[in-house]
Amino acid sequence: MREVSIVGIGYTSFSPVTPDLSWKELMFEAATRAYADAGIDPRKDVQSFITCAEDYWEGFSIFDEFTPDQLGAALRLMHTVAGDGLLGLANAYMQIKTGLFDIVVVEAHSKISDLLTYEDVLMLAFDPIYEAPLGGHPHYLAGLEMREYLAWTGTTEEECAAVAVKNKWNALRNPLAPYGAAIAREDVLSSPYLFAPLKKLEIAPLVDGAIVLVLAEGELARRLTDKAVLLEGIGWSSESPWVGTRLPDARYARLAAELAYAQAGITNPIQEIDLAEVDDRFAYKELQHLEALGLARPGEAGQLLLEGAFDLDGQLPVNLSGGSLGMGDAVEAGGLQRALEIILQLRGEAGARQLPDPEVGLAMSWRGLPHGSGAVAIFRREA
Amino acid sequence: MEKISKPTEIKHQLGHMEVDHYHYTVGLAGERFFTALREEGKLLGARCESCGVTYIPPRIYCEECFAELDEYVDLGLEGEVRSFTIARIDRDGRPLDPPEIRALISFGEDTTDLLHLLGEVEPEEVYIGMEVEAVLKPKREREGKVTDIRYFRPIK
Ligand SMILES: [Zn+2]
Repeated sequence: MREVSIVGIGYTSFSPVTPDLSWKELMFEAATRAYADAGIDPRKDVQSFITCAEDYWEGFSIFDEFTPDQLGAALRLMHTVAGDGLLGLANAYMQIKTGLFDIVVVEAHSKISDLLTYEDVLMLAFDPIYEAPLGGHPHYLAGLEMREYLAWTGTTEEECAAVAVKNKWNALRNPLAPYGAAIAREDVLSSPYLFAPLKKLEIAPLVDGAIVLVLAEGELARRLTDKAVLLEGIGWSSESPWVGTRLPDARYARLAAELAYAQAGITNPIQEIDLAEVDDRFAYKELQHLEALGLARPGEAGQLLLEGAFDLDGQLPVNLSGGSLGMGDAVEAGGLQRALEIILQLRGEAGARQLPDPEVGLAMSWRGLPHGSGAVAIFRREA
Repeated sequence: MEKISKPTEIKHQLGHMEVDHYHYTVGLAGERFFTALREEGKLLGARCESCGVTYIPPRIYCEECFAELDEYVDLGLEGEVRSFTIARIDRDGRPLDPPEIRALISFGEDTTDLLHLLGEVEPEEVYIGMEVEAVLKPKREREGKVTDIRYFRPIK
């Protein structure tokens, strides 16, 4: 059975604004670093390129036609996934797994600071007949879901606030994370209720940045580099788009994880996974996602968090990168931002937040409001 | 890469992505829903008998079993609050005073829920499970839109 490995990573800094570089230059910078890391020439060695983007974030249409040149992909096989970076990773995984290609590149980025009316554009993702005419700030949907999640599981506002405290603290140890802060739970709890029970400091701020991953078939990967990381499984799922049809249990995450676990041969995720990076664009989502992924029992993630289980020195460190609360919400690059931390940790390159000896890591993404879709990837260090 | 280090040398060009001229088709189920709302002041759902689920807003298919649905049922104007949030800023980030109360309204165990607003109630009075009723615009003002429902209010 063919294996799939990550052989190169490249990324820009993550910053609230990047006024000097265009989105194409951000991609070029990340790509150049990824190719150098993998020791490959994109014009000769890469067989397929995949970008992940959404036209409205970019501000022009038919984004996919604008991508080859800055990746070294002109006149080569390439396509765009209109979704999160982990979905692009899933496409690359399949292309290598099936034997179609041996080296594939995946890119995702955010130049969301170019968008001056983010909330208006996010509102365009709401159903134009039944939801958008009701107006409002689109984040209200997170407030609705959070209240129901709390009521269903018995999770408390204190526990949700503690997610923001942990992730912003973790971000202080990540030079890539611009939103690190040493704050107390009280600071979060006393920040304004924007969409009660959701508070201001529980909402991830936006960020710019680009990430490029180079994937290779397992045997080739071992010849290319001694720091290959295996991509052992990747799953995805989409729930009903109707808000009133979904329950507050992030079923998309559970179904995506079931597929990824099966591919990776994971039967007891709590025992077998050493660290996780999960979507936390609203603080409560981290707890909800951990439960959906089977990394905590329903309703217990909040208590485990308070006991330190998800800290740097806990039994399952979660969002050591700082998550989106610490690194920023990089829109469609969010999933690769999560994956990047897992890869850095498994390569032993995570600096001040490096875990002693991690073997297996999980990265999970959520597409974001107003939808219920997500993806899960399982990475393993080469034995 | 040589980068720009003087902010005064950074250039941007303002642009505008025009996206506000669409003619959204409400579809077969939408016609039934909005006609009943406008003409009769009723809220219709579409029923899947084999799954025992009623969908509001109605659709012509069941997302569980993929059956085509053509049975419409009158759900009445009364329901209860499944979840709610108090929104204190508008889309431009300006404070909302009074705040908006947004809610998911349940019309029963086997029925999907409707996203809407609450009115004639103070934020601190709202709770999950609160019984509410739809307040419709007067018939002459109704246009066959979801905003023909002004909001839901507590049943006194
Ligand atoms: Zn059915």
